[in-house]
Amino acid sequence: MANFFPRWTNYTPLKLAICAGIAGVGLVAAFTYYATPKAQRVGYMPSQPIPYNHELHVQQLGLDCRYCHSFVESSGHANVPSANTCWNCHQHVKTDSPKLEPLRKAIDKNYENYDGKPIEWVRVHSAPDYAYFNHSAHVNRGVSCESCHGDVHEMEEVYHAESLSMGFCLDCHRNPEKHVRPLEEVYNLDYDAEEYLEENKEVADVVNAFIAENDELKRKRLSSQEKLGHYLVDHWNVQPKESCSTCHR
Amino acid sequence: MSKKVLHHPETPENEAATSVWRSLREREDTIKFRHQSIREFYDAEDTMTEDERELSRRNFVKLMGASTALAGLGMAACRRPESYILPYADAPEWIVPGRPLYYATNMPAANGAVPLVVTSYESRPTKLAPNNTHPDKQGTDAQVQASILNLYSPSRSKSFLKDGGEVDAGEFEKFFSTFVKSAGKLGVVFGADESPTRNRLAREIQKKFPEVKFYSYEALENDVANKAVADAFGEKRVKLTPDFKKAECILSLDSDCLELDAKSSVLEFAKKRQGGSDGYDKELEKNKMNRLYQVESIFSLTGGMADHRLRIAPSQVSKVAVAIAKEIQSLAGNPKLAQALNGLTATFSGEEDYINDWAKACAKDLVGKKGKALVLVGTQQPSELHLLGLAMNEALGALGSTLNPYAASGQAYGTINDLKADVDAGGVENLLLLTPSNPIFDAAADADFDAILDKVGISIHFGERTDKTAYSCSWHIPATHYLESWGDALTANGFYSIVQPLILPLYPDTFSEIDVLTAIATGNYMSAPTATEPSEAHNEVKTTFTKQFSRQANDWNALLKNGYTKVRGYNKATLASIGSTSKLKSFYEQAPTNESLEVILAKDYSIGDGRYIDNAWLQEAPDPIIKLTWDNAAIVSPKTAKDLGVYDEIVQLETWNAARPAIGEAGGARAPMAKISVGDTSVKVPVIIGFGQADNTITLPVGYGQAADDGRESANRFIKGRPAVGDVGLNTGFNVYPLRKSSSEFLLKGAKVEKTKDKYKVASTQEHHAMYGRALAREVSTMDSPSKGDFAHQLENVSKQGMDSHIPKNIPLYKARDTNQEDLISDKKHQWAMTIDLNTCTGCNACLIACQAENNIPVVGKDQVALGREMHWIRMDRYYASQEHEYDSHGHIKKDEKTPAWVQDNPAVVPQPVACTQCESAPCETVCPVNATVHTEEGLNAMAYNRCIGTRYCANNCPFKARRFNFFDYNKRNPLMEKNLYRGPLGEKKVGSPEHLQRNPNVTVRMRGVMEKCTYCVQSLELAKIKQKQITKKKAEAAGGSINVELTAKDLMIPINGVKVACQEACPSDSIAFGNLLRNGENGIGKDTVVKAKESKRNYELLKYIGTFSRTTYLARVKNPNPEMPDAKYIGLATINIH
Repeated sequence: MANFFPRWTNYTPLKLAICAGIAGVGLVAAFTYYATPKAQRVGYMPSQPIPYNHELHVQQLGLDCRYCHSFVESSGHANVPSANTCWNCHQHVKTDSPKLEPLRKAIDKNYENYDGKPIEWVRVHSAPDYAYFNHSAHVNRGVSCESCHGDVHEMEEVYHAESLSMGFCLDCHRNPEKHVRPLEEVYNLDYDAEEYLEENKEVADVVNAFIAENDELKRKRLSSQEKLGHYLVDHWNVQPKESCSTCHR
Repeated sequence: MSKKVLHHPETPENEAATSVWRSLREREDTIKFRHQSIREFYDAEDTMTEDERELSRRNFVKLMGASTALAGLGMAACRRPESYILPYADAPEWIVPGRPLYYATNMPAANGAVPLVVTSYESRPTKLAPNNTHPDKQGTDAQVQASILNLYSPSRSKSFLKDGGEVDAGEFEKFFSTFVKSAGKLGVVFGADESPTRNRLAREIQKKFPEVKFYSYEALENDVANKAVADAFGEKRVKLTPDFKKAECILSLDSDCLELDAKSSVLEFAKKRQGGSDGYDKELEKNKMNRLYQVESIFSLTGGMADHRLRIAPSQVSKVAVAIAKEIQSLAGNPKLAQALNGLTATFSGEEDYINDWAKACAKDLVGKKGKALVLVGTQQPSELHLLGLAMNEALGALGSTLNPYAASGQAYGTINDLKADVDAGGVENLLLLTPSNPIFDAAADADFDAILDKVGISIHFGERTDKTAYSCSWHIPATHYLESWGDALTANGFYSIVQPLILPLYPDTFSEIDVLTAIATGNYMSAPTATEPSEAHNEVKTTFTKQFSRQANDWNALLKNGYTKVRGYNKATLASIGSTSKLKSFYEQAPTNESLEVILAKDYSIGDGRYIDNAWLQEAPDPIIKLTWDNAAIVSPKTAKDLGVYDEIVQLETWNAARPAIGEAGGARAPMAKISVGDTSVKVPVIIGFGQADNTITLPVGYGQAADDGRESANRFIKGRPAVGDVGLNTGFNVYPLRKSSSEFLLKGAKVEKTKDKYKVASTQEHHAMYGRALAREVSTMDSPSKGDFAHQLENVSKQGMDSHIPKNIPLYKARDTNQEDLISDKKHQWAMTIDLNTCTGCNACLIACQAENNIPVVGKDQVALGREMHWIRMDRYYASQEHEYDSHGHIKKDEKTPAWVQDNPAVVPQPVACTQCESAPCETVCPVNATVHTEEGLNAMAYNRCIGTRYCANNCPFKARRFNFFDYNKRNPLMEKNLYRGPLGEKKVGSPEHLQRNPNVTVRMRGVMEKCTYCVQSLELAKIKQKQITKKKAEAAGGSINVELTAKDLMIPINGVKVACQEACPSDSIAFGNLLRNGENGIGKDTVVKAKESKRNYELLKYIGTFSRTTYLARVKNPNPEMPDAKYIGLATINIH
């Protein structure tokens, strides 16, 4: 019987394998780029029923985060403000603005379209149902809003700034010093560790002394944030857990 | 798959004389049982249902292929769906989204209101816990814990009915607005609980309409006995409330005083059981323990706790009582007792000879503890025995000391027989039924409720369920649940307690009892409450309170906060004269024989008198003693079963086809049906064996068989369009109420049993998740034992029982260290641990239901339970143990000398709750291929449900059998509809089903293919830790800046006993201790109770020789026998070794 397959077919399996390999690598690369939370979520900026401007309220009017997200220090949820919180000011300010129509619908009993139903804010940041993130556990231990939500105070419209993937959480749980700051500065989204230490010389001295006493840390090149972070993590006994039940129940 | 084989050591000789078993087949040691015992699940074929067999692997692959192809075509769901946040428009006060609020309220009940603290998430009540600040310390039992599910029951009554057909609210309003203006000859039937507002409104109605008459009815209240007792005190109504705090020696005559008949705090009993130790501050002392004598015919939970249990037919309980009373009379003469005993004699002969000694020693002990002794009589016993019990209590100085007689103020309400008489005489023309009972279903034949309904003009039924009575009356008013209503109630000791709503009524047409009564009293139609305006009932309750119970200004707010006031609604009553007990003799003269048996109509541990039939948690909770779920059955003793010729059949029939070597109590488990007739009435029910049941007696739990559409004989027919039960109660059990001829009768004589050829499928859990090993549950006796030594020695040896002293030192090859050589279980602040005290655990299932409520555990339905797939994270094991051989004086077994038959036939019952024990070196973790179950730094064996792929390796490798697998999507798809689970994606989903509102938002709702188990309520632990972290801010304020704060591990530890897990909170006897092992008293850190408990000599580790280092440990049970009793030497030896 003659050779059924011609000679050139000898290399076909190899070629196929190489192609499959390239395709496989490509697939993985594409998946990581396009399908992971980093690609899927970052930049998500849905339009809201009321185009609430954080930049205006925080930077120009000087509102604290906790004026609206009032329970962030005591509850797992950082609440979106109820309509009456907005109404505290807006019954006096810009009441007739057409942008505020949904608010008046929810709260203004004198408004013709009043129905008393809650405003439907579109969710931007959402943890999966099986992940139980607790805001109070973080803000009470020196993790700022900014660490997960980005520079919200500069956002005219809120968008998803960080990936908020499990890896993102674990990065910080493994190296909390990169994010921990004095409790007084948690809601100061303009905070910069270097400036803080420059302004508070006595704190800088204490922190530097702490680093100098620590054999391991003094050999490393640390940023101001890391120095202060290490100091606070040590003094506050911050030990973020990495075990599953910390977030999953 | 076969089970992982563990090689257990030999049983030591001093424990070997006790034989131990869980089920009949284990007792008989059938080949089939042995075959099964080595397997993880039942034989594959036996386990599969018809539907599963149909769904072959081939079909499965086909379906999967098709669905994958379809998914590829669609690709519709690539973008994350938009979701919304809806904050309150106008935020209510106090509510912090994500944080629960706790409110005090009370659950009204015939035996006294149950003080509760209710957890509420955004105004949605999710969980009940006992109100521990209440002076009554009532605790909660399984039925109380499960009562929250009634609120969310899908089959709740939601609309008005007229002649059984739905009508809108307007039509009823039209009728009722005129009706209340001229109530006329109205008969109002209340429940048996005490409500001051109801009493006050009844008086007002009486004033306005003098012809209105009031009655009180609940199916299992013994009206005749209640009246006889009240007469003895010269009062209209008397409540006898035992005080276990003072009682040191208790004789219970057929009274399940720790569970179904519990009229006071079980906690106080449990405390007395701990021999002077309070929170394990010292070792138990034997002479400070109380002692419980139990005379009973069915095995009750109280019987399981008793030091001495006498197994005897219900009619003969009176005879034993007389024998004991005679002895008391001769030791401590009392004129009232002498009078009560007049003409009564009782001596036992033949096989029962030992009872004479039993009675004598018991009486001597009682008299020796005069003033601290207590005699309790079971509700179902005849009124004469209740009177004799009173006389015995009088002679023992119990009245006013260990037994508080309270006179209930207010008018006396008539009984159901009075109602019948009044209806017959024309004194009552219309009827309003407010009772929680279901009289057309559960009233005795002599009350003839059908005839009452025929004779009255208008009958109005008020209730939470559209039961048979609702459809039989001319009108039905849907009732609010007690968590939606305003009301008030008195607890067992008479403390005025408030019933306050946690939520606006879920269904707008529902009203509360007080609303209805107010409408009659004022002549105005009921007003529904709104978000801002409470209902009329609120004002009425407030009026009652300010008029009768308020002592100072602002009391009302304190009442709402605490749930009670210390003002009592009862007065002390004093015994006047005891009525005639002469009829007692004729009651006990004739003992039952196997030709003429005695039937006990018993309250069911799950569904009570039938009112909880639509409560899925209770239906699925295994009966604490016989372990049957979803049904009732006739319970007979092994000997009676043999006499009736069904014993072998039952042994055979435990498989669906006995000819094959099929195994298990699996899907095929059947029980033979028998016809039980009393007089001219008969019921056809399945028969099962109950060890410890008195011979020649049959226990028939009541309340089941309210509706069935499968053609079963002894059940009401299910009528479409008039459903008397929902999905849950349909086709469950058999109706045995027709046997009851008279309202005063719960014990029926002269029953005959006829075998039939029919079989009935039963789902019993007694062999499920069976553990094997040495000394699983341990018991010691305060008495010297030839085999085990004296009490001190026995205490020392608790941790050595079951060969635990012979375990070689555990030197693990694998060091539990991480890469930095640090301990894997490394946390320096919290190391969680639990102890379960078998000495006080009654086995009541409260923990099991509380766990279900807290952890979103689904119900799986009868068929799935039969296959061993129940999901309860806590498994309530129940072991029987009886000593078969005598010991000689050196503690060696006398192989040729058996113990007397009456000892062997009366086994001890040892309940043991087992959940995941959180092994430090957990066998489940090492076999998980995806790391879905891993250890936390705090010693928890955690579950990451979203990671689990369902290999079930972990369950197979668990020596405690503590893991549960979601074979189906029980949470999403209704398992109670026939074959629904097998329809896959096409199955009926529970979308919008109200029971989802009960879910705990802090716990994942698990889906199909996921393994789950107890994780020590990790959600509560995390919340407690997070709360403690707020200390950083507090300290920062004090230190003038967070930079100056220094926190130690001690600062971040949650407070002493700072967190309670769900089972611990629910336990009415405080048997579960939970806490932080690092709170060990060193360096000024206080001690958690659990640490103290673990220091007790009674502490031991389950399956210690396997070397898994369990975090949950158990405390051995202590029995306190009276050395003079004939059975004393057989008590306290029930150490459970299972082969």
